[in-house]
Amino acid sequence: MSQEFNRGPAPQQNKDLFILTYGALVAQLCKDYEKDEDVNKYLDKMGYGIGTRLVEDFLAQSSVRRCHSYSEVTHIIAEVAFKIYLGVTPSVPCNNSSRNEFSLILDKNPLSEFVGELPAGRSSLCYCSLLCGIIRGALEMVHLAADVTFLQDKLKGDSVTEIGITFLKQPEEKKYRRKK
Amino acid sequence: MAVCIMVIVKENYPFYVRSIPVENELKFHSVVHTSLDLVDEKISAMGKALVDQRGLCPGLLYPTEDYKVYGYVTNSKVKFVTLVDSSNTAHRDNEICSMFWKLHNSYTDVTCNPFPNPGDRIRPRVFDNMVTSLMTQVC
Repeated sequence: MSQEFNRGPAPQQNKDLFILTYGALVAQLCKDYEKDEDVNKYLDKMGYGIGTRLVEDFLAQSSVRRCHSYSEVTHIIAEVAFKIYLGVTPSVPCNNSSRNEFSLILDKNPLSEFVGELPAGRSSLCYCSLLCGIIRGALEMVHLAADVTFLQDKLKGDSVTEIGITFLKQPEEKKYRRKK
Repeated sequence: MAVCIMVIVKENYPFYVRSIPVENELKFHSVVHTSLDLVDEKISAMGKALVDQRGLCPGLLYPTEDYKVYGYVTNSKVKFVTLVDSSNTAHRDNEICSMFWKLHNSYTDVTCNPFPNPGDRIRPRVFDNMVTSLMTQVC
């Protein structure tokens, strides 16, 4: 997939086919599963599979340095990864509440560009669950466990789309005290 | 001011109807229905002479005592018909055509919605708002 590692910024390509393909995928899942939770779960699972593979391509293309904090990781995801793959840059507001919870705020979500509103009877559908899965899968491949969910969704009537990333403590990082 | 905008699909049934005031909708239905023949006639008369990149805009179809009827056909044989109050001063053709182009662009966005089946009659909010703004603006 990544033939040249130093491609530079990706050329502006027509994303309509990609957006329509994603829409068809979600529509088909809605036909296959009655419950919104099931559709969300499977979208997240698919995204996880994509994320574990996509991270290799991302690291090769972007050649980012090692991150030293969760905040740096979140900024890299927002400013580099989203820019490369979706062409948008979400903003990362300063989250003072705790040092392992961050948000990505998207004014305009390219994936749901053509979906005006959620269909009747699907009010708890998270249309872009795939993105959550992708971020979660990618982070896990670099040994960072995280919980990624949608906090706000424009399709549900909120003013912006907000993705929340909560970094979880790794059990291996616990220091084992030797019994004295 | 545009009093009625109707989108008619290839199979010749109305996909979207919007009229002000709503009570006259049935009357507008019959007017638009009769104008469909005129649209086909004008298109076949124009032939390939005035093919725009987006669609054919025959413009004014015919004037009645109360309204003027304008039509537009896309490359996929979807017709947009609009009725405008006759009392207003004459509109230039390119004003009407640019209105139809905006409608056409909005319509293509609506068709890209993955959830409804093609041919389902829906009232998407964004399209509704766009039509409202066009109806109040054309005067």
